[in-house]
Amino acid sequence: MDNDKTSLVAYLAITLLTIFLAGCGATDPKPSAADRASGEVFESQDYFVVIARSGDTVESLAARFLADKNLDWMIEDYNGSASITAGQQVVIPKRPWNLSGVTASGYQLVPILVYHNLASQPKGRMILGAKAFEEQMRYLKTQGYRVVNIREFVDFVSQKRQLPRKSVLLTFDDGYRSFLQYAYPLLKELNFTATLFVYTDYLNAGSSAFSWADLKKLADEGFDVQAHSKSHGDMVRAAGEPANEYDRRLETELVQPRALFQKNLGFEPNIMAYPYGRQDDAVVRRTKERGYVAAFTVRRQGSPSFVDMHRINRSQIYPEMSLDDFIKNLNLFSQEQIK
Amino acid sequence: MRRLAQRFALATGLLCFAAACATVQEGPHQSPFENLLAPNREKAASLAAQGNLRGAGDAWKVALTIDPKDSIALEESGKIEERIKQAVADRLARGEDALKRNLYIEARNHFLAVLALEPSNREAFVALQTRVREVRQINHTVRAGESLASIAQLYYGDRSRSEVIWETNQLPPNPKLTPGSVLKIPEIPGLPFGRPLAPPVLTKPEVTEVGPSANPALVEAKEASDRGDYFLALATLDRFIGQNPRSGEALDLKRTILLQQGKTLLEQNKLGDSFTALTQLAKLSPKDASVSSLLTNVRSRLVQQHYNQGISLYREERLPEAVAEWRSVLQYDPGHEGAKRNIEQAERLLKGLQVRQQKQGR
Repeated sequence: MDNDKTSLVAYLAITLLTIFLAGCGATDPKPSAADRASGEVFESQDYFVVIARSGDTVESLAARFLADKNLDWMIEDYNGSASITAGQQVVIPKRPWNLSGVTASGYQLVPILVYHNLASQPKGRMILGAKAFEEQMRYLKTQGYRVVNIREFVDFVSQKRQLPRKSVLLTFDDGYRSFLQYAYPLLKELNFTATLFVYTDYLNAGSSAFSWADLKKLADEGFDVQAHSKSHGDMVRAAGEPANEYDRRLETELVQPRALFQKNLGFEPNIMAYPYGRQDDAVVRRTKERGYVAAFTVRRQGSPSFVDMHRINRSQIYPEMSLDDFIKNLNLFSQEQIK
Repeated sequence: MRRLAQRFALATGLLCFAAACATVQEGPHQSPFENLLAPNREKAASLAAQGNLRGAGDAWKVALTIDPKDSIALEESGKIEERIKQAVADRLARGEDALKRNLYIEARNHFLAVLALEPSNREAFVALQTRVREVRQINHTVRAGESLASIAQLYYGDRSRSEVIWETNQLPPNPKLTPGSVLKIPEIPGLPFGRPLAPPVLTKPEVTEVGPSANPALVEAKEASDRGDYFLALATLDRFIGQNPRSGEALDLKRTILLQQGKTLLEQNKLGDSFTALTQLAKLSPKDASVSSLLTNVRSRLVQQHYNQGISLYREERLPEAVAEWRSVLQYDPGHEGAKRNIEQAERLLKGLQVRQQKQGR
């Protein structure tokens, strides 16, 4: 009987020990990667971390986790690749993680391209052939560039918005109506947008110029229309130009477009492209005073987030440029060891 | 007794085991997601070793997303955040100090370092945007045969960057470079900077179109001129100049077009129209000796043409028309003695004829 009791106690002890061990083991499983179920999701204040399932793409993940497939660039840029494989650990930032685009290895640049007139055939220095324009736009599309609008760009240089790593801004100067024939259909097809900088004296001035009605229609469709002065005169004071005369002239160039925009388009422009890209401290100061929050030059280089907001760089695209020449204007990053 | 001993031994064993288990639960958290955490830990450690604190901090945050209780991530993340905080404060202070001493390159480096650590830091961003001037540039001494495009190719590997050199040095459109003059070559973000990409290769001087983009009105005028439609070209230009009386570019273009027009009309032997164009040109370029010379030449030919035409008409006894031609001579050359004499003679004859006709009429 004693033996029986002893056996029972021993049995109970072993059972308890086994249960206890099993319990301890359950808190420390150490699964292998293969054990993790695809589709598993972790979430914190800053990120989702997802174990990708078969068929997941940056677009589908952006739609699922960020509620907008157009935010796919956030996943692409954070993970350094647009391709995703099943079982891959994908980090999805829930919000912008680098507003200024500066990292330890350099800083982001946004190329801003300037076009003028377009025609079926190139001519002179300012009329780009439609074929070359199409080639350039399709290059941007196939290489994954993201055409941002000017408001997004201004937010970027105000440290209010992070832009995709491969952002580019398209601008068209002066107000040539050829935009409607050669650029508009292609931009719509590629889902690109653009900013039209127009000088108001040119509008309605014959068949080659935009009418206000053209601009109203384009603005209603989401194209940005902004100021390029009244007459396209050089805003920098000419040698020997009397101070009061210059003062009046500069004031007219900056102020008159605002009234005309308001009357014809229903809004005032708040961004300026300096005629010829020309400016100096006096022009910049007055441009700011007249309510323009940003202004553009034609200095051929990309713009970092911390660029002077009234001296933003742009690169003019000329008809004599080959596609390789064009590509040289698309620098996205300034490599610099920042320590 | 034996039974008691057995029970004691069992109870002791169980207590020991329970105590052991309790010790495990109170020690460092063993994450159930070790395999997912491992790459993030490795990444964080590697980035921290490279001095990329922000990258390391982000990697630890990803690790904590996977397991918020991961003790290693918690500890390391805290350490990194503290290091970032201290480094940001230090670099901001050093940036400000550099600015006070006008050491812009140094200030720029400090503020960039702050943004690399804390991309949303407003103070560093505003300092870079508004207070740090662009200063990284080197000097290039122009050699014979060089153009802005060839210099741009030399430093940037891209001829079209000549515009940046042009703008930085505040040069006139299509400048002629003088050997020995010094140009500032600024850094262009995203392009190599600091020394020429290749030894200078001297070529023939070349024409490079460098300068601001053209005004549409000026382009239109130029195109009309190229087509030979000088009237339209000048009308377009005059409208533009009316609004931009100080546009040097427009005035230069007007001079060019007037010269082309004057020469073309001269070739077509339309001397009067040529003279009109060249007279306008001479008013715009009063000190241009070549224009003055060309104008004198056309004037001489005009004078000769009208004078000879007058003689021909005189010989045909078409006196009023002959007088008109010689008066034209006097328009171009008010002191022309031959024209004056001929007009007097022709008018005397005309007067005589009139008197005779009146007598015959009676």
